[in-house]
Amino acid sequence: MSQVNGVEYGEKDFSWLKFDRERCVRCGVCVDMCPMDVIHFGSQGYPYMRYRDDCWYCDVCTFMCPRQAIVMEELPYLIR
Amino acid sequence: MYHVKQADIVIIGSGAAGTMSAIYAHRADPGLKVVVLDKSKMETSGGAGRGMDALNTVALPPYSQPEDVVELMTKVTEGILDQQVAYRFGEICPRMVADLEQIMEREKGDLFPVDENGNYRLMYLHPIDKPLLLPMDGEEMKRALAHAVRQTGAEVMDRTPAIKIVTSGGKVCGVLAVNIRTGHYYYIKTKAVCLTTGAAGRMGLASSGYLAGTYEFPGCSGDGYAMAYEAGAELVNMECFQANTLLKDHQGPSCGYVAAPRGAYTVNPWDERTWSHGYSSGDSKMGAWKRFTQGRGPIYLKMDHLDEQMIQIIEKIQWGNERTSRGLFHQSREQNYRNAHAVELAFAEEVGVCGGHSSSGVLSDTTGVSNVPGLYVAGDVDGGLPHSYLGGALAMGGLIGEEAAHYASGIPEPEQRTGLKAWLRKEAAEFEAPLGREGGLPTSLVEFKARARVQYYLKPPKNPVFLEKAAWWMERIRQEDLPRIQAVSLHDLFKVQEIKSILTVGEMMARSSLFREESRWGYQHWRVDMPAKKPEWEGVWVVIKKGEGGEMTLAKRQSPAHQWEYPTSMEYAYPDLEFDTGPMFQKGPEWKNPKDDPWMKAHLDAQGMATPRRFMAKEEN
Repeated sequence: MSQVNGVEYGEKDFSWLKFDRERCVRCGVCVDMCPMDVIHFGSQGYPYMRYRDDCWYCDVCTFMCPRQAIVMEELPYLIR
Repeated sequence: MYHVKQADIVIIGSGAAGTMSAIYAHRADPGLKVVVLDKSKMETSGGAGRGMDALNTVALPPYSQPEDVVELMTKVTEGILDQQVAYRFGEICPRMVADLEQIMEREKGDLFPVDENGNYRLMYLHPIDKPLLLPMDGEEMKRALAHAVRQTGAEVMDRTPAIKIVTSGGKVCGVLAVNIRTGHYYYIKTKAVCLTTGAAGRMGLASSGYLAGTYEFPGCSGDGYAMAYEAGAELVNMECFQANTLLKDHQGPSCGYVAAPRGAYTVNPWDERTWSHGYSSGDSKMGAWKRFTQGRGPIYLKMDHLDEQMIQIIEKIQWGNERTSRGLFHQSREQNYRNAHAVELAFAEEVGVCGGHSSSGVLSDTTGVSNVPGLYVAGDVDGGLPHSYLGGALAMGGLIGEEAAHYASGIPEPEQRTGLKAWLRKEAAEFEAPLGREGGLPTSLVEFKARARVQYYLKPPKNPVFLEKAAWWMERIRQEDLPRIQAVSLHDLFKVQEIKSILTVGEMMARSSLFREESRWGYQHWRVDMPAKKPEWEGVWVVIKKGEGGEMTLAKRQSPAHQWEYPTSMEYAYPDLEFDTGPMFQKGPEWKNPKDDPWMKAHLDAQGMATPRRFMAKEEN
């Protein structure tokens, strides 16, 4: 859980990136590579969109994930 | 926590230009200590972080020569450029292309297409009669460049953006940076800086309202423009805005550069073409503006006349790299390239400035150096080489790496400013102040306001009243909102720095537009109060620089005399903005209100005062 601009962004709040915990091995490649610093580790060491509204929907995370554990299901609400 | 480091060259921004700077600096002198700073992660940062599909403007014999680049740039800048810089870029294109193949470990003909004679096969796009566009299978470009940089032994500091370029005696002597994940400060003593921070692309707010929904990589918030300005550098063409035709809401490229060379073009619902060529110049922007202003929007990317194979090629390129989420975007809106009027485009949804897509930035010469000794620029922050795109970033990025290495090898350690430790403490305290505030303004709110004002008051057509208002708003937000802004994390704290850059660049855009008392570059600097090009502004730069007293100073400067005689204009005319809206409502003879308003008078008499009660002090019981 983190607070951004007074808003609590929980791991279960609306986000368009889905992190498959069956596939994810918590290697941190997505956390390391996200160019906008959106993805951080959450509970139990699994990644989530901590700074959700900074996402550029560039797709780098899904591309870089070695386990294909991230799916961009849709685009940010305001633009999709 | 403070760390003091020593370097010969600091590269600020490790996008396409910055990575090439590091590689070439190492080649020029492997003994030099090079530090690379990036706000993001070098492997994925910048506009080309996910990949890129072409070098939009390059000269590669025998298809095109350096002179052809000069011709293009002379034409689209309407003669306001240093042709020698354009020629220098054209000269080094073949070297850059060969190096990129070697760095990416790709065979000739694999990364770039070649013809039956082994020559790079360029495509036509630009408004001249020579091909200058080289397609590219560049999905892995940034990873390869980053790998090459790490192999040089350069110290790469990811997530560590610079916040200040420090000078002593007018020369570069250091860089202050902060890690946005640890909060550690770094002061790096250095002889030279390669500034490769990209465009000021997070400026005008697009109508989607999504702050990170930008055409340029949203990390490119004009920090380089602002830092260079604060360090005493001269910036030019800040009135020549970038205003693109983009995918509505997605803000991804309309991909005219992918689709147009392959037979696509833009039309409105009545199949009227917006302009004669796909290149993003002031005249084509004017064409797009006219369609929308006539109420004849939207604009569509027309591809339904192309055969299936060509459509699949376009899809593969557009959905395969750069902004791959566009495939998902089209799918969610049921947009199919095979249908008429499928792909909706919008125009000028976000005004900004950029050296690569337009011609705004830090003025540099044929060696990429600015007026500040030791400060080199390349890529989108560079105003010395206009309309250079990725090819310019790569080629000139490499060039400034070499030039900075030669410079740094030949000079002693620069003097540092006196009282360095006290200065660092002061800078850090100022930078961190928003973290300590309780109940302040959220950063997103302030950014929204600043960028909404930029978009409303700076979007062409320009008039002096709007421009003055834009400058006024930048100052008001600086004075009134910044002291109250609150950051809730280190990640959030850097946004305050980005907002400061947005305000500085917004003010430069406004003041430069006010100063250039004419219209030029089609839509990009269209003053409705002065809708013509004027002879006294031919070949003249508006140069912005920070004055002795801290004020923004502007001056006219003649750009160097042309060595090559090429056309200095595009084919367009400014539209007449007199609209006949027909007869308006006419008041009849009975249509008048009494001079004395009995209802208001009764209220005033009853209250015994001329001021509404709510403004008066409460009566004591």
